[in-house]
Amino acid sequence: MEKAILIVDDEEINRVILAECFKDKYEIIEANNGLKAVEAIDSSDNIAAVFLDLIMPEMGGMEVLKYLRKSGKMAHIPVFIITAANSQEMLMEAYDLGAVDVISKPFMTNFLKCRVENIIELYRHRNELADIVKEQVQRLNQLNQSMVETLASLIEFRDCESGEHVRRMCDLTDILMTKVSDMFPEYHLERQEIDKIVTSAVLHDVGKIAIPDGILNKPGRLTSEEFEIMKQHTVKGCEILSKVPNILDDDVYNYSYDICRHHHERWDGRGYPDGLKGDEISIWAQVVAVADVYDALTSPRVYKSAFDHETAVKMIYNGECGTFNPKVLEAFGNCMDQIIRRND
Amino acid sequence: MSLIEELKELGANTDEALNRFMNNQALYERMLRKLPASVKELNVMKALEEGDTETAFTAAHTIKGVTGNLSLTPLYRAYSDIVAYLRGGEPESAKAVLERILPLQRKMIQCIEKNRPQ
Repeated sequence: MEKAILIVDDEEINRVILAECFKDKYEIIEANNGLKAVEAIDSSDNIAAVFLDLIMPEMGGMEVLKYLRKSGKMAHIPVFIITAANSQEMLMEAYDLGAVDVISKPFMTNFLKCRVENIIELYRHRNELADIVKEQVQRLNQLNQSMVETLASLIEFRDCESGEHVRRMCDLTDILMTKVSDMFPEYHLERQEIDKIVTSAVLHDVGKIAIPDGILNKPGRLTSEEFEIMKQHTVKGCEILSKVPNILDDDVYNYSYDICRHHHERWDGRGYPDGLKGDEISIWAQVVAVADVYDALTSPRVYKSAFDHETAVKMIYNGECGTFNPKVLEAFGNCMDQIIRRND
Repeated sequence: MSLIEELKELGANTDEALNRFMNNQALYERMLRKLPASVKELNVMKALEEGDTETAFTAAHTIKGVTGNLSLTPLYRAYSDIVAYLRGGEPESAKAVLERILPLQRKMIQCIEKNRPQ
């Protein structure tokens, strides 16, 4: 697509000279006031540079600059201020608002041509690089996400019962964490953080890779020695994570580490491995714990069959599967519809 | 004598202007012909007499830019001074400069008006 230059000046003579100077290489768009300039900017996507007069009827150049800045377009389009003024304050203000350079009247067209083309080239290059970086970051994120999922799925192969457990856990964590965040200001988290917590929840049981088959897949009740070994999956998970910290973004690493270690802690302090009590346990580990227990109850296991939703909820409220933060349980009670809809 | 030659006699720096117009003489002449209308519309003297310095300033500023781009150098210099005086809050001095330059301004405009395109 041919690149365009937008010339904004209320004086036709000024526009014509600039148009004459650039018409060979660029499509020329003219506007005789700021309003028309803004319209032109919003309706075309091939503008490579804007030449902007400051003093104009309807809407002055400063307003156009402010608009461009607010809309974020200033970062991609160089704006040159056209001026016959030597008013330093006005020019400084224009630079402060992000104008790239000043075209002073009377124009020195040959010189101007070089300057403008250099800057357009610079911006083109910069925009191209920005696009490439954006694409790379996106690929990197996808790659990281898939590595995290691969790591998490390894345990599904070992632990025959898990199957879809990890996926469901994430959905439950999302539903419950969102509800807790909405209901209780002290636990409020931005959407972005909740998304990271959900990603991190995938890895909660990664430490089970280090638990021997005989214990991990034992159909009956574990002996107390075996249970001690089983409990190690929390700490082992952290060990594994600490060996691959680079595949995770810093926040996801911190959330995963915390969730791996503390998703079996109990509100009353009788959980493991650290025996944390109450809000010593992070809210995300508390939420994952409830999601984990609910999913374990409603799924068939080698040592038990699946409980239905109502029974599972009753067991959690009765404290048959641990003690939980009453606020998290209240939030849990408030997202039953979503959970049932999800189960279907 | 052609329009451009006549204006050169009156002090316009027409070589510089032609350079600015990428040596497009026809375009330069076409733009010169637009000047009389805009200058008449932008009546700085009238605004000054009415004490409306803001309008006078904006008008003088515009004429400064245009005469500069057309390389009507004596007018450009005068309007640069007028703008500076008005910015500095000296409308009387601005008026004095304007009175001094108006005869030449009229001459240049007459010259442009009488040289109609064939």
